[in-house]
Amino acid sequence: MSSESPSDPPLLRVEDLYKRYGDEEVLNGVSFDMDAQDVQVLVGPSGSGKSTLLRCVNRLTEFEGGRIALDGTPTDEMDENDLRRQVGMVFQDFNLFAHLTAKRNVMLGLRRVRGHSKEEAEARALEELEQVGLGDQADSYPAELSGGQQQRVGIARALAMDPKLMLFDEPTSALDPELIGEVLGVMRDLADQGMTMLCVTHEMGFARQVATDIMFLEGGHLVEHGPPEQLFENPRHERTAQFLDRLTSLHGGDHG
Amino acid sequence: MPCPVPVPGGLSADWRYVFENACYLGDGLAVTLALTAASLVVGFAAGLPAGVAEVYGRQSDSAPVRWVGRAVRNAGVVLRGTPIVVIIMLAYFSFGISPAFLAATAALGFRSAAYQTQIFRGAIESVGAGQMEAARSVGMSKYQSIRHVVLPQALRRSVPGFQNEVTIVLKDTSIAFAIGLAELLTKSYDLFQSVGHTTAIFELILVVSAAYFVLTFAANRSLEALNEAVSVPGGERG
Amino acid sequence: MAERAAGTDADSASGSRARFGDRDVGTLATYLAGALFWGWIFLRWLNDWSGGVFVPARQAFVPPSLFRGVAAGVPVVGGAFEALAFAFEYAPALVNALWLTVVLTVVSIALGFVIAVPLAASRVYGRVSAWVSVAYIELLRGTPLLAQLFVLYYGFPWLTRFFRGLPGVGQGVLPGQAVFVAVIGFTLNSAAYQAEYIRGAIESVAPGQLVAARSVGLSRVEGVRFVVLPQALRYAIPGWTNELVYLVKYSSLAAFITVPELFRAAQNIASSNYRYTSMFVLAAVLYLGVVVTATNLMEYVGRRVAVPGISGGEGR
Ligand SMILES: Nc1ncnc2c1ncn2[C@@H]1O[C@H](COP(=O)(O)OP(=O)(O)OP(=O)(O)O)[C@@H](O)[C@H]1O
Ligand SMILES: [Mg+2]
Repeated sequence: MSSESPSDPPLLRVEDLYKRYGDEEVLNGVSFDMDAQDVQVLVGPSGSGKSTLLRCVNRLTEFEGGRIALDGTPTDEMDENDLRRQVGMVFQDFNLFAHLTAKRNVMLGLRRVRGHSKEEAEARALEELEQVGLGDQADSYPAELSGGQQQRVGIARALAMDPKLMLFDEPTSALDPELIGEVLGVMRDLADQGMTMLCVTHEMGFARQVATDIMFLEGGHLVEHGPPEQLFENPRHERTAQFLDRLTSLHGGDHG
Repeated sequence: MPCPVPVPGGLSADWRYVFENACYLGDGLAVTLALTAASLVVGFAAGLPAGVAEVYGRQSDSAPVRWVGRAVRNAGVVLRGTPIVVIIMLAYFSFGISPAFLAATAALGFRSAAYQTQIFRGAIESVGAGQMEAARSVGMSKYQSIRHVVLPQALRRSVPGFQNEVTIVLKDTSIAFAIGLAELLTKSYDLFQSVGHTTAIFELILVVSAAYFVLTFAANRSLEALNEAVSVPGGERG
Repeated sequence: MAERAAGTDADSASGSRARFGDRDVGTLATYLAGALFWGWIFLRWLNDWSGGVFVPARQAFVPPSLFRGVAAGVPVVGGAFEALAFAFEYAPALVNALWLTVVLTVVSIALGFVIAVPLAASRVYGRVSAWVSVAYIELLRGTPLLAQLFVLYYGFPWLTRFFRGLPGVGQGVLPGQAVFVAVIGFTLNSAAYQAEYIRGAIESVAPGQLVAARSVGLSRVEGVRFVVLPQALRYAIPGWTNELVYLVKYSSLAAFITVPELFRAAQNIASSNYRYTSMFVLAAVLYLGVVVTATNLMEYVGRRVAVPGISGGEGR
C-alpha cells in the first residue's frame, strides 16, 4: 500500500475479503489496492474464485467478511445502483439485452439510470459504438452480430455509464480464436486512454503488454501479486511459475 | 328490428329453421365473443402481475412479498384444479355476481389468470439470469430491470402460450350454459330443444361448431401474425 | 449488507440444503394426506358397494350429530364445528358420485390413448391418412367439448337407446346409459388431444437418433421401438399430466347429459338443501384432491423414468 493519507485513497481497496458458499470457502482473505489507471490482470485455475471476486466488487454477490472501498467510500455505504453505475462490467457470455438493437443496448442505462433525454442518449450511444468500431452496426440486434461484435457492444454499454473502474470477466473465452483480437484491441485502447481495469483473462500476450500488475489467485488466496516481469521471469512461488507456463503455452498468442 | 338475414328457398325444414333463427344465433355469437374478450382481459390484468409475483416473490428479501408470492401460487393451484363449471356456479350463486355475463366473466377471467400466470412465469424464467445481471450491473434497479429488460423479452416469448389460452377460453365460454347465459351454445340448445325441432340438432351444431372453428382458426392465425411481428430479428438468444 | 443484491445467487449451498429439508417434510406430509384422502374414499366405496358393511350406504362413518352437539355447546368455534358437521353429512354422497368421475376419466384416457397412437403416427408418417388425422384432430380440438357431448346425446338418440338395451346397464355395478355416451364423447375428444401430445413428443426426438439406430444395424421398426419411442414417451409425460387433469375437471360436463357424477350430485343436493356454496366448495375440494394426486403421481412417474437430458415429469 503506497499511501495512507486520507486525501489520496486508492481507487479500489479490497481488504481481507471473505466469501463462502455454504461450507465452501471461495475467498479466504483477499486484499489488494488499485490506483487510477491501473490495469490488473487476475489469473487462476477454474473455481479459484476469480468471478466471485469481481462480483463482490460491484455487489452482484454479497460477502461475509472484509471491506471494499471505491475512491475511499466503503461500497456497503453506497447505494448499490449508484455503485454499479460507477463500476462497469463485461461478461464472458456478453449478456446483451436480446430484444434491443446495439444502440438501444447502450441507450438503456443512459436513459433509465443517468436520466438522459432520448436525443442525448442516442448521440452518446453512437459515440460509444464508434469508439469500439461498431458505428455501422448500431441498428443490428444482438443475434445478428458475431460474438466479437456482441462483446464490443457489451463494452460500449458499460463505458457509456462513465465508470471509474471496468471489470472484465473472461471477455474473450466464449469467442472463436479469430475474433479474440478485435476485443483485446478495444481493451488495449481503453487502457491506453487511462481506464482503470480489473480483468480476468488468460490471454497472456495481453497481460504481458498491458497489465500494470498480475494477480495469481488459487483456492481463494492471492498467492502472488506483482508486475508482469516479476511474475513471468522471477515468480516467488513454484505454483505461479507452473500455472503461468501452462497458460502461456495455451493462450500465449499475441492477438492484439 | 326484423332480422335482415334472408331465408333461401329450397331448403329442408331443419335448415330453414336455422336460417329463420340466424339473428337469434348471431346474438349468441356476439355474447360469446364479448365474454371471450372480457375474460382474457381480466386474465391478463391479473395474470401478468401474478406471474411476476410468483417469480420474484420467491427470491425476495421481504417477508410480505414472499407471502404474496406464496398466496398467488396457492390461489393458482386452486383455480387450476377446480372444474370451470364449479367456478362459474360459485361465482353466480355464492358470490351472487349478476347478471350472468359478469359472473361468467369473473369465473373465466380469474381461471384464465391462473393459467396466464403460468405462461408468464415460464416466459420470465426462460429469460436467462444473465439479462438481469447485465441490467443490474449498469445500475438499474430491480424494478427497472424487470420492467425494461426482462418483461419485454418475456412478453414476446409468451405469445404462443397466450394463443393456446385464447382458444381454451373461447371454447370454455360454452360452459356458461350452466348458468343459462345466452351465448352461442345455449342459444342453439334452446333452439333444438324447442318442440318439433329436435331433428335440427345436426344443422344447428354444425353451424355452431363451424362458428367456433372459424373463431379458433382466426384467433390462431392472428396471434401467429402477432408473434411474427414482435419477434426479434435474427432470433433470440438467451 | 443485504443478501442477494441482484437476486442472482439465490442458490447458495446452505439455502438449497434448507430447501431440501423442507421438501422432505413436505413430501411426507403430501404422502400422508394422500393416503388419508384415498383411504377414506376407498373405504367409502367399499362400504357403499357392499350395501353398507360399516354404516348404511352414503352415510358418514362418524355421525354428523356428534359435531352438531359440540357446535351447539361451544359458542366461539361453533361455526367451524357446524361446517364440519355439514361436510360429514354430505361428503359421503359426493364421494359415492366421485366414483363415476374417476371411471369417466380413467376409461376415457385409456381408450383415447388407443386411438391417439395411430392418429399421431398417421399424422407424422402417413400421406392421405395424415389429412384424415389432421381433420379429425383439428375438428375435435377446435370445438367445445360440451357441444360434442350434445351431438352424441341429443343428436344420436339411438346411441342412448342402444346402451339402455344392453343387459345389466344401469343395474348393479354397471352405470346408466348416459355414462357410456359420455365415455364415447370424452374418448373421442381426448384422442385428439393425446394425439397432439404424442406427435409433439415424437417430433422432439432428434432425427439423428433414428439414423444412429439404423447405423448400428437396427431395422426401422426396431429403431422406432427401442430408440425413438422410449424417448418420445418420456417427452409425452407432461402432456399426459395435462390430459389427465383436464379429463378429471371436464368430466363434470357429463352432468349436462344427465350423468350423476360428482358435479351433478353436488348440484342435485344443493337444489334440495339450498346450500349452494357449501356443496360446490365441498365438490371443489374433492376435485382438487383428485387433481393434486394425479399431478403428483405423474411427477413421480416422470422422476422414476427420468434420464438426464430428457425432461419428463416437470411440465413446462
Ligand atoms: N452461486 C453459487 N452458488 C454456489 N457456489 C458457487 C456459486 N458461484 C460460484 N460458486 C462456487 O464458488 C467457487 C468459485 O467460483 P468462481 O466462479 O468464482 O470461479 P472462477 O475462478 O471464476 O472459475 P472459472 O475459471 O471456471 O470461471 C466454485 O467452486 C463455484 O462452484
Ligand atoms: Mg469465472
